[in-house]
Amino acid sequence: MNEQQIAYRIRQHLNRGLGLDAGKLARLKAAREQALARQRVQSAIPILAWAGNVIGKSGGPSTLVPRVLLPMVVLILGLTAVNHWRDSQLAAELEEIDAAVLTGDLPLDAYLDKGFDAWLKRPSY
Amino acid sequence: MAKAAFVLTLWLCTSLSVLAATPPKHLPTWSELTTDQRRTLAPLAEDWDNFEPDRKRRWIGIAKRYPNMKPDEQARVQRRMQAWAKLTPKERDAARARYKKMEKLPPEKKEGLKEKWEEYNRLPEQERRKLGSTPRKPPTTAQKARPPAIASPEQPAPPEVAPAPGPGR
Repeated sequence: MNEQQIAYRIRQHLNRGLGLDAGKLARLKAAREQALARQRVQSAIPILAWAGNVIGKSGGPSTLVPRVLLPMVVLILGLTAVNHWRDSQLAAELEEIDAAVLTGDLPLDAYLDKGFDAWLKRPSY
Repeated sequence: MAKAAFVLTLWLCTSLSVLAATPPKHLPTWSELTTDQRRTLAPLAEDWDNFEPDRKRRWIGIAKRYPNMKPDEQARVQRRMQAWAKLTPKERDAARARYKKMEKLPPEKKEGLKEKWEEYNRLPEQERRKLGSTPRKPPTTAQKARPPAIASPEQPAPPEVAPAPGPGR
């Protein structure tokens, strides 16, 4: 009898009902609850378990700094620098535009008037 | 040990992220500005302390450019500053987008923009409305009463745009 056949037989038995007495049912219930409680404790710290696995595979804590920590710190510092550079570029561009709008020949209304914008788009212009 | 190292890495990442997100330095309140900055930015005195750091930084940048501007440019900045600051962020963004678009025009067309604006203003209002123009609001009493902070060679002109109240950049 292979595994599938056993599973089929068990299912049939379960479908018919086991007809267990109250004592056995209570013991089964207690065992199930105990198993679930253990399962919850394990799943509460999966990230640490994962970290343990990763570090274990990478050669243990002695290689943690060069293999994991250092690249991570470099990556974060790099991203921070790029972000900072992008923000300062944008700020400089906005300042440049504001200064030009404030000092230019055209009054502010010319930049705010949708009609003027549309009028400039005429094919004749 | 491994867990402790992982927690340390997480802490390091969080700290660096927080550091990156924190504004690098305190931006001055109105009273903390230098005398020159206060003189240049005088039309913004009332609103300055409510500005976000980015806006303050931008205005400080403009105040820094101010001494190198020509007298007529300085006068324009003085006239337009408050109206620009009172626009909503959306209006300012739209104006910047139009400025960028106009900047891309060929030089001969860019030269003639002032004349085009005057020509456009001579159109009957109904026609301008059809093109999408909205009626311009008259300047507020407060603005009329406020003299320019720096004596300009020209006669002080009325604000060139009707401000709309609102915060933002």
